[in-house]
Amino acid sequence: MKLVIKNLKKSFDKKQILKDVNFEFQKGKIYGLLGRNGAGKTTLFNCLSEDIEIDSGQFYIEENQIKEITPEDIGYVLSTPNVPEFLTAREFLKFFIDINQKHLKTNKTIDQWFDLIQIEKEDRDKLLKDYSHGMKNKMQMLVNIIASPSILLLDEPLTSFDVVAQEEMKQMFKNIKKDHIIIFSTHIMELALDLCDEIVVLNKGVLKEIKKEKDIETFKQKIMEALVEE
Amino acid sequence: MLKTFLISYKLKNAYRVNSIIYSLKQLPIIKKILPVSLYQNKALKIIGNIISIIIEILTIFLGKFLYIFFCIVAMFPVFKINTPNLFIHIFLFLTIIGAIMNTYMFNPTKDKYYAMIIMKMDAKKYTLSNYLYSMLKTLIGFMPFTIIFGLMSKLPLWITIIMPVFVVMAKISYSAYTLIYFQKHKKAKSENNLNKITWLIVGILLLLAYGLPYINITINPIIFIICFIITLILGIYGIKIIKNFSKYRQIYKQILTYENVYVTENNKSTKKIKENAEKHIKLDKNFISNKKGFAYFHELFVKRHAQILTAAVKKQAIVIIIIFFLSIIFISKNKEFAGTINGLLLIYLPYFLFIMYMLNRGTTITEAMFMNCDHSMLTYRIYRTPKVILGLFKQRLKTLITLNLIPATLIGFTLSFLLYISGGTNEPLNYIILFISIISMSIFFSVHYLVMYYLLQPYNANTEMKSSTYSLVQGLTYFVCYFFIDKKLSTFYFGLAITFFCITYSIISLYLAYKKAPKTFKLRV
Repeated sequence: MKLVIKNLKKSFDKKQILKDVNFEFQKGKIYGLLGRNGAGKTTLFNCLSEDIEIDSGQFYIEENQIKEITPEDIGYVLSTPNVPEFLTAREFLKFFIDINQKHLKTNKTIDQWFDLIQIEKEDRDKLLKDYSHGMKNKMQMLVNIIASPSILLLDEPLTSFDVVAQEEMKQMFKNIKKDHIIIFSTHIMELALDLCDEIVVLNKGVLKEIKKEKDIETFKQKIMEALVEE
Repeated sequence: MLKTFLISYKLKNAYRVNSIIYSLKQLPIIKKILPVSLYQNKALKIIGNIISIIIEILTIFLGKFLYIFFCIVAMFPVFKINTPNLFIHIFLFLTIIGAIMNTYMFNPTKDKYYAMIIMKMDAKKYTLSNYLYSMLKTLIGFMPFTIIFGLMSKLPLWITIIMPVFVVMAKISYSAYTLIYFQKHKKAKSENNLNKITWLIVGILLLLAYGLPYINITINPIIFIICFIITLILGIYGIKIIKNFSKYRQIYKQILTYENVYVTENNKSTKKIKENAEKHIKLDKNFISNKKGFAYFHELFVKRHAQILTAAVKKQAIVIIIIFFLSIIFISKNKEFAGTINGLLLIYLPYFLFIMYMLNRGTTITEAMFMNCDHSMLTYRIYRTPKVILGLFKQRLKTLITLNLIPATLIGFTLSFLLYISGGTNEPLNYIILFISIISMSIFFSVHYLVMYYLLQPYNANTEMKSSTYSLVQGLTYFVCYFFIDKKLSTFYFGLAITFFCITYSIISLYLAYKKAPKTFKLRV
């Protein structure tokens, strides 16, 4: 399975943010999406998750045959966690399991899901409004994993986690990547190099894959050049 | 100091011009015509500057004119006396209130926030130069109108000339007192956060301003002159204190907080609404639901927001019941009253369009839905599937209609019953029409607010209202309902027409919601 983007264009007013994006993202890989501030990383994610309409081009899933992307195919984790604060964490999970019943690939119980992201037992029946930023982020991540979309868009998802939670999350992404296409947007090059299988740079409205180098410093240099390329 | 003033004035003017251009960009059709490089457009900047100067002149003169006209001159017919003393009397007490509530110096405004907090301008130079400008504006702005309206009230010219000086000196005296208070207690007083005692003093002064003339007591010019001399002396001393005060930065650090500047400027700000909505979430650990999916989700929303959803409805119901019983008592005791009520019920049904509009909880409930629920849930793609959107829409519609039907049913029943006991009607259908039309209006407003919310979803991810169309629809709704307030129309025909309209509107808008909401119900980017 792969996510194919063809000639995707998006402008705001008359400023072209995505000029002509062409790319193929393969299942089983974590892609590190790098770009300077304002390069259009969030715009690209917003286009793929259909939060905004694209001007032209197309994107679809290709697996033996071409398939239009449905809401169930996309999970989008924002850098700022958004959870319904009037629910307890357990109720939030129950709701998500209910509405995703058809797509669930495992029969995990709610507590098993909590265990997966290390939410303590005494916190599971608390209102989400009383959760810390990092815990809310974990919950947001978890419901996107429960929904089991083919494509996971992660916009700076680890910034609010402590170092231990960051390592747990990284491990979790590595564990689930075989069934997903994971696109991970970040400003931290080290994190991208550590976690991601491929590095993709968005510069001047165009996506470009950076071929890996054996020497890490040379690879970093290539990424830097791609980021500042005029 | 002049240099500081000019820099601050240019800064204020720059964002005022940008605000004017931004407002132009929000207008539905115009925004499409205007170019992106709008803020660089020189011609538009010049127009913006001209508008900005006009606004500045208007703030100098128009506000003062409206103040003297509406708060003093227009009040004259209320009182039996109409002597020169009345003008002086009201002016004196309102000036003292103004000195406390409208200091300029302790008003947390955006221009002060930008200049002193963000741009780190010299607080003392900024304050003194702008304060001087503000007092000059007060003096010049008041002068023509105290002279014109004072002479019209047969006051001597010299008194009308010293009146604006009195206003300025009163303001300076109170500001100086506030600075002394800060030096002693290290606490700054923002004029937007007055304490209870100050409000009490303001209330008493207001009572003295309008209450005393009502019982034919007014102060005479001699008392005014004594007050003027005292204020003049205090004011001159106050100028010295203001000039020598050195801790303006510390005082403004307390006053110019983000909340003071942005939240109190508009109490209906979304931040406030969100905080308010969050406050009402209550966890009931014993709550068990057998429902699933969005029905389960909605049931929890209703349960956790019981206070915000039902508190106002309960209060409305109590008030309606009280009015109902009081009306029964008056009707049974007073035949004339009964006749009047009977007549009103047969021609004043249009008035109830406005009442039903005011009672409807649609705006508050949709706000709570967004702030506490959709704001976060709309970021999940799965929540935006047609199945979930429409499933939840149905649940919400049921809740909104049910809640609003509680006061509506009581009103409908009350009106029909009052019509019966106040003398009845030759047309028995009037009883049914009264009841049905009130119920229809209630359902109409419930459908209207929810459909508008789903079709125009006006908020963005930062919970800011971003739809001028939504504001326009809300304004129009108010305008139309207000328009019907004084219309006398036969209950029979108006009732039939409004019922037909409400049913037709509801069917069409529900159809539109079902067709369009899966595409329109999303966070604004």
